[in-house]
Amino acid sequence: MQLDPLSVPYRAVEGGLQVVVGIAVAGIAGAGSIGGIEGVAVFGVLVVLGIGLSLGWQVAYYQRFEYRTTPDTFDIDSGVLSRRAREIPYGRIQNVDIRQNVIQRALDIAEVRLETAGGGQTEARLRYVSRADAEQIQETVSRRKRDESEIPEQETTERGEKLFELDGRELIVLGIVSMDLRLLSILAVPASIVGPSMFTELAPATATIAVLVVGLIGLVVASAVVSAAIAMTRYYGFVLTDRGEEYRYERGLLQRFSGSIPKNKVQTITLAENVIARRLGYASLSIETAGYAGGSQDGSGSQSAIPIAQRAHAIELAGQIEDFEDLAFERPPKRARERYAARYGIVLAILVAAAYAVVQLTSLSAPWYLLVGGVVLIPPAAHLKWRNRGYRLEDDYVITRNGFWSRRITIVPVYRIQTLVTAETVFQRRRDLATLVVDTAGTYSLVGDDAQAVDIDVAVADRLREELTADLQEAIVEYRNQRGHSGPVGDGSGPINSASDLTDG
Amino acid sequence: MDEPADASVGADERTDEELPEEHTSDPEAYTTDTRTLDPRVRWLWVGRAVVVALVLGVASAAAGRALAPDQLWIGPAVFVVATALGTAHALLLYRSWSYEVREDSLFLDRGVITRVRTVVPYVRVQHIDTSRGPLERAMGLSSLVVYTAGSRGADVTIPGIRPWEADDLQTRLKALAIESEGEDAV
Repeated sequence: MQLDPLSVPYRAVEGGLQVVVGIAVAGIAGAGSIGGIEGVAVFGVLVVLGIGLSLGWQVAYYQRFEYRTTPDTFDIDSGVLSRRAREIPYGRIQNVDIRQNVIQRALDIAEVRLETAGGGQTEARLRYVSRADAEQIQETVSRRKRDESEIPEQETTERGEKLFELDGRELIVLGIVSMDLRLLSILAVPASIVGPSMFTELAPATATIAVLVVGLIGLVVASAVVSAAIAMTRYYGFVLTDRGEEYRYERGLLQRFSGSIPKNKVQTITLAENVIARRLGYASLSIETAGYAGGSQDGSGSQSAIPIAQRAHAIELAGQIEDFEDLAFERPPKRARERYAARYGIVLAILVAAAYAVVQLTSLSAPWYLLVGGVVLIPPAAHLKWRNRGYRLEDDYVITRNGFWSRRITIVPVYRIQTLVTAETVFQRRRDLATLVVDTAGTYSLVGDDAQAVDIDVAVADRLREELTADLQEAIVEYRNQRGHSGPVGDGSGPINSASDLTDG
Repeated sequence: MDEPADASVGADERTDEELPEEHTSDPEAYTTDTRTLDPRVRWLWVGRAVVVALVLGVASAAAGRALAPDQLWIGPAVFVVATALGTAHALLLYRSWSYEVREDSLFLDRGVITRVRTVVPYVRVQHIDTSRGPLERAMGLSSLVVYTAGSRGADVTIPGIRPWEADDLQTRLKALAIESEGEDAV
């Protein structure tokens, strides 16, 4: 099958725009040097040439791009100058995503991405096929995977059971919860460029401080509103359905996004609740698979299963995905709290010293000693940090909890553990503490958010490490039996196994 | 450790655990005692520390010339301090390193500032490399790299072992990984 013919003009304009920008810079320079009407003509010719070249290239790309679905693999033959033939076994596909931005929706075309665990980037991108074809691909891949894994057909779930739908109220909560001041730094750049000139023109000398404060507050509000709006458009109309072998979700106001999460590829699930969400009693849930490459693409490493929901509801849904028992945590020993107090004390001392140095060495005069007052914040800060940490060991799950500002509860099935690491820094050794890192093949961990039991007793950490290693062996055997496979390769996603499955059936 | 009692450890040679002649399904045949690195890796690490110290020294000497032209001692001082710190770190790191091939997992223990202990279950091993850089070759050393599908420490390296030891380890780990009947490792 081929891409949608409309992808040619779309891609030409898309690619052409980049070329045009490049040419425009050159063209304006050229036009400037020639000058007058001749210059404009030269510029125009260059732009037309750029679009023409781009269109020609896209026609060739379209002609030479072909994909097909065979009984065991998804094949793509592509490339204009250097050809590439790629075959992806269905069993290895982790996710199938469909995305559409506003223009693509108007043209009724969509981008399809197939992700496997290997490689540094998306394994297959179809840019672009018609919306109907995209859905058909998603459906075909999911059906073939089901055929391979030999689990009894569940015809009733063909259309899917709706697990969760984001309503208006939750969308607003999502906006509030997603307010993020990190955008401040981005907004601050233009403000710092435009600001000073506006400042000198508009502000009468008496009101300088007031204007400054108002400006700052304005920036903060703008950043919060923009980040809330981004989150709300991203998750507008979110629906999660259960389709037997996989979860399917759809979301997005401007850019429509639809993805599939195969149940047997789920690595870890994470319950995230920041300070505001906790206050409102809401939480979000995300599922990590091994498909996405380093979360580098659009920063969407893991997939939101539930963008926001009442905490109890989110936990209930988490319980449907992974069958853990409870979320009652064991806290690190109290001496960990002393460690945080010491840490914050050191940071404060450095800040005070720096402020003192600035006051002494420059002509600035400020009440630097007021910073010392920060001491009163240390005990509550240390306590909160300690209070929000925790770990929990169940027969089949390791669960960890970390973070005060944005608290994350990570649920790791024991049979998904890749490696176990205990680490003790110099400061931890002073207090006989250690950190246990439970590493999985999920993607989120690349950003450093793995499941970690931080600052637990060193003896406990060592014991857990050894216990979990032993548990892993058992859990893998159990997982294999549970899935009804007795073959040596087990999982049903292994190529050898799937081949035998096919001959059996 | 549950090693057979007759696995005698020689005074200076580390030929304690012989590899079985033929492939056997008994994981115990492939395990080892706790082993340390080859002592000459110290020289490799000390050498590396001296090179880093030299770079730091030259850089700070250049910076010193620009900022305070009469303070000529800065460069050499930085070099001496960095060399001392680097050497101490290299020696301590060597002393901290140990590894063990267990029945179901590879166990590594190392680290000076942060002590890190890693367990790599054989079910999770994707592939095993031995690698020898030019410096390592010159010193008769080799490294073993074990890859998993995990995201942190996806590749676990045992540096500074003798080439035959690396080959021996590779054979052991390969046998154990096959024995563990790993499924699709993600």
